[in-house]
This record gives sequence, C-alpha cells and structure tokens, in this order.
Amino acid sequence: MAGFVLHYDDKKRAVQLLITLGVVVWIAVDAATGGSAYWTRVLVRLPLLLTGSATGWPVTGGFVLNILLSIASMALATALGTIMGLGTLARVGLIRVPNLLLVNFLRNSPWLVLLFATLYFLPFEMRIFGTIVPFPPFVKAVIGLALPTAANFSEVIRGAVQSVHSGQWEAARSLGYNTFQIYRHVIMQQAMRRMIPGWMNLYAPLMIATALATVTGIQDVLTILNTLLAMENERVIVYFYLTILFLFIPYCYPIAAIARRLERAVKGDSL
Amino acid sequence: MLGLDYSWLADPAYQRWLLIGVVNTLKLAALSSSAAILIGMLGALGFTLRIFWLDALIELFVEVFRNTPPLLQMLFAYFTLSTLGLRVTDPSTGLSVPLLSAFACAAISLSLFGGALAIEAFRSGIETMPRSIVDAARSLGYGRWARFWRIEAPIATRICLPGLTNILTNLFKTTSQASVITVPELMYYAGQIYNDTFRTLEVMILVLLIYVALVSILTLAMARLEAFMAFPGYGRGL
Repeated sequence: MAGFVLHYDDKKRAVQLLITLGVVVWIAVDAATGGSAYWTRVLVRLPLLLTGSATGWPVTGGFVLNILLSIASMALATALGTIMGLGTLARVGLIRVPNLLLVNFLRNSPWLVLLFATLYFLPFEMRIFGTIVPFPPFVKAVIGLALPTAANFSEVIRGAVQSVHSGQWEAARSLGYNTFQIYRHVIMQQAMRRMIPGWMNLYAPLMIATALATVTGIQDVLTILNTLLAMENERVIVYFYLTILFLFIPYCYPIAAIARRLERAVKGDSL
Repeated sequence: MLGLDYSWLADPAYQRWLLIGVVNTLKLAALSSSAAILIGMLGALGFTLRIFWLDALIELFVEVFRNTPPLLQMLFAYFTLSTLGLRVTDPSTGLSVPLLSAFACAAISLSLFGGALAIEAFRSGIETMPRSIVDAARSLGYGRWARFWRIEAPIATRICLPGLTNILTNLFKTTSQASVITVPELMYYAGQIYNDTFRTLEVMILVLLIYVALVSILTLAMARLEAFMAFPGYGRGL
C-alpha cells in the first residue's frame, strides 16, 4: 500500500459516491421487500411524466416540455435582457431611468406572482396589423418566466460592460468610433467573455422555476404529476415525488457546475 | 385604458384579508430567513473544519436543495411527510392528524432551500478571505478564537453581505409559492379575493406591487446595512 495516498478531495468524492450508492441500494432493497409494487407504478408512468404521452412519443408535455420551456424563455430573456442592459447603460436619462426602474421592478417581483400577472395581463389572442396572433398558455409561460430572467441578465450585461476599463472607451472615441461601433467592435468583444458564466448561472434557476408554469395550465411535469396522483394511494405519492425531485438534479447540476467552473476561470483575468 | 376596477378594495373584509396575508408572508419570510442564515453559518463552519465526510455531506445537501424546485420541495413536505410517519393522534377527536401544519411545512422547506443557498454564499465568502490578513493576525500573536472573532468574522461578514442580500430577497419572493400548499399568505388571499370578485388582473397587479414594495424595502435596508458596516477595502467601502 506504500505510496497510495487518498487526497482530501478524493476522500470527499468517495463518501459522496458511497452515499449515492447507498441510495441506489436502498431503492433496490425497498423494491425487493414490498416496495416493488410502488416502484412499478412509478416506472409505468415514467414515460408519461417525461414526455406527456404514455408511450413516450410524441412529446406533448412532461419534463421535456419543462426543458423546452426553459430554453425558449432563456432565448427570449437573452434578447430582452440585452436591450434592457444596454438601456440601463445609456447616457440619456430618458432612456436610462425607465430601464433602471423596469429592471428593479422585475428583479424585485416574485416569479410566481409575475407569472400569474402575465397570465391575466396578456389576452388569449391579439390583433397586430390585421393578423390575429394567439397567445396560448405556453407562450404566456415563456414570457412570464423570461421577464425576471431578462432583468437579471441585464444586470449581468451591465456588470460586464462596466468591468471593461474606461481607457478602452476613451481610446475608441479618440479613434473616431461612434457609440454603436464602440459597443460592437471594442466593448462587447471583451465583455462577452465575462458575460457567459453569468448568463449560464441564470439558466439553472430558470429551469427550476419552470415548475411554476403548472399554474398556466400547460402539461408540464407537475401538472401531469398532479393528474396522476389523483389516481394513486397515499403511499405511492412519496415515490412519485421523489422521482420528480430527482429528475431535476441530473439535468440542473451539471449545467450549474460548468457555469461555476467558467466563473472561476474568468474571475482572475484583468482586462 | 385597461378599465381597471378597484372598487372592491373599499370592502373592509378584503382589506383585512390583504393585511393578514402580508403579516403571514412577513412571518414566513422572517422565520425561514433566520433559519436559513443559521443553517448557512453552521454549514460554512462545517466546511472550515475540513472533515472530509462532513464536507461531503454538506455539499450533497447543498446540491440537492439548490437543484430542485422549491415548489416541489414544499409539495413533498406537505403531501408526503405525514404519510412517512409524522402524524399525531388528536386527543380531542382521537383521529390521526399530520404533525406539521401547512405553514410549518412551508417554513421548514424554505429554510432548507435558503440554508443551502446561504451555505454556498458564506463558503465562497470565507474562501475569498485574503490569506495575508490571516497570516498577519497570526504573526501579531492572535490565538485561534481571537483571530476568528476579531479578524476573520468581521471581514467575512462584510464579504458575504451582498450575497446574503440576494438570498434573502430570493427567499422572500419564494414565500409566495407557499400559497400552493394553502399557507394563508398574501398570494393565497389574492386567490381568495379574485375568486370572490372575478377581478383577477386588478388583484394580481395590486399584489405584485405589494411584493415589489416589500422586497424593495428589504433590498434598501440591506444596502443601508452594507453601507453602515463598510470599512475600507471590503464590500462597498472602497
């Protein structure tokens, strides 16, 4: 055994692996000693919880819908957040002040309340230039979840742009660039690198918040869970809830971990 | 423009509901915030001890609670803890009732969720503590406890404050989700009022404004605290 030393982090990982294994063993033992009936019920329903249809195809809802919802919201939040972020950086007070107020309003409002407000505020269809644009619950959920994320992203943008040394602005201005050109060719090139970890850090909370979309009535994993639980007995409910809780972890944890690693990598560099 | 009708707000019954809702929201937020800070401190302290199995356990706790929706955590606590054996027999009726009320379930799960976030914030605060200051304190002859109380704790508190503000506002906003498990807080009474009056949009706008006002007060208070505690080099005191 000489020369074989377990370092602190290795020991830590080993303990975590053991606990994870312990959970797996516990599930196996539970399944073998009477819990199997419950676990089969969960297993039978799993395709429904994941994709919204009992056979697993086509995708009409479930956890996959939560993922789609989070991606759509993130895309919208990125676009909105960029506009708001640059708006809060404007030198014209007439643009800056309303943007700052909007960002602070959205940042300080609870996701659930904002989602409800969006749900009731938006009509179910809207007439724009003669064409009728429908607002199904999914679109409302996307907008409701994108608003607070956009506000948070605008803060990320503001922080990243402000972290670029002011000498860069002065140099670009003295070279005759206008504001748009400075953002496009000088500032954003440098700020982008710092933005990415902040942007990724917003994704895991957004994914977690998609669970709230159940209030809009879309067939997301929680809506389906509630429908299913109406047919199950009290004991099985425990198994169903545990299954759903642990659906989120393998999806959110790796993304959050990568974001934190990127954050550490960016932290040290000076511009 | 929108034709908003706020005449229902004149009804004392609805005013009372809103007031009870705000009070319960504040109670839930205060309770879970203090518990979350306590959990955060204990967890961060646990990290500094550098005991590998404790470290591993705390990290697992943080990751599980941070990467699952708080709404699901609350639903889990509310619907399954009583099935798992947390029940008592009511002496007056002889019936078996759940040990924890909806409010208790919400407070416990919010505390654990906030605690997980707080552990992470406090840990990163301690990690960014400049090594040179600790070394300087040691060379001046400070003992372990004096160093912790007089040097490390004051600096770490100031480094952690902005992160703590984020967590407290996040937790305050998350208390609105407790309405889903029938905790009678602001959001729950909002539902009651619009079921009564059918003024959904008006009620939601009012409730949204109340929440924004409360959270803004919290943010401003924390900013004042930060400015008050600031000393050169850490946090806002540059």
